Amino acid sequence: MFSQFIIPFAFLLVLLIAIFRKKDPYNYFIDGSKKAVNLVIDVFPYLLAILMAVEVFRVSGVSAFLAGLTAPVFGWFGLPVELTELLIIRPLSGAGSLAVLNDIFANHEPDSFIGRSASVVYGSSETIFYVSTIYLSQSKCRNLRYAIPISIVATLTGVIAGVALLRVF
Amino acid sequence: MLIASVSTLIFIDPSAVLESMLAGSNAALRLSLELVAVYGLWLGFFAILEKTGASKLIAKLLGPLIRFLFKGASLEAQKLISLNMSANLIGLGSAATPMGIGAIKELDTGGKKANTNMIMLIVISTTSLQLLPSTVISLRTQHNSQAVTSFLLACFIATVLSTIIGIVLVKIMSKIFPDKPADVLPAKGLMID
Repeated sequence: MFSQFIIPFAFLLVLLIAIFRKKDPYNYFIDGSKKAVNLVIDVFPYLLAILMAVEVFRVSGVSAFLAGLTAPVFGWFGLPVELTELLIIRPLSGAGSLAVLNDIFANHEPDSFIGRSASVVYGSSETIFYVSTIYLSQSKCRNLRYAIPISIVATLTGVIAGVALLRVF
Repeated sequence: MLIASVSTLIFIDPSAVLESMLAGSNAALRLSLELVAVYGLWLGFFAILEKTGASKLIAKLLGPLIRFLFKGASLEAQKLISLNMSANLIGLGSAATPMGIGAIKELDTGGKKANTNMIMLIVISTTSLQLLPSTVISLRTQHNSQAVTSFLLACFIATVLSTIIGIVLVKIMSKIFPDKPADVLPAKGLMID
């Protein structure tokens, strides 16, 4: 598939450019990689806080409770009830929502309407809260103003449209 | 959210509180170790891109689009944003993250509140314009799907639509609520570092 070739090709291309321009890619690589450890140390406390909260949220059953509460609202927009927990966990944690997606595939066939809808939800959305927290981790700014509401509205609209399309085809 | 969850657990299973919090912390540590490896690889790769001038080329290609989306962004910010966007586009979210952190730092004008450019980058990254959702595809394969790619068209339309709506909404909101200098610029005399 396309994606299998694009990354090796990009690496090869960049190495060729480096050789062609008589640069030393090895030392550049080392210099760049050095930053990774400090970056992760900066990001770690935020990661810890998010993943800890998400785990308690899931284990306590509060997420399932919230899912039950909000299911009619999502249902009104044509989203199957079975997807509600996925929709709630998805903006918070990639690993958490992947576990939920796995459950959905195990309980309903991946090729069923619910399975395909869940695939659209997971594939067309991002971990909104996770990404925005991590991106801000090296900045002093803590107020994102209207960014998060816009992301949620935009993602939900996309998901609703995608699931509606699945009904048609 | 955490308060509600912890207080619920106290009634159901008090011993699960610490247990689940530790499980979350452990997941964070495991993820961090993995991220050191992934970021190390990509930051190294991007350093070669940077030093050979290849990142300038990518920035030039995406330049008109980036300058339309991010008014007044510095050249360095444009470079980081173009790398961040191209990594996101091919589904490499974890490669995009270090560039995103750098780009936000570069766009930050030092105020308490985010400026329009920072909001734009957050919205574009969190509405994920992804060409190939490889995680979903591999999970579907594991569950013996007979039509692994049957959701791709709907998924593609959903992700394109969400990104376009996000961009349009940010453009509208930034007209209604323009950046106030008092919010996005650091107060005078407070620039200690």
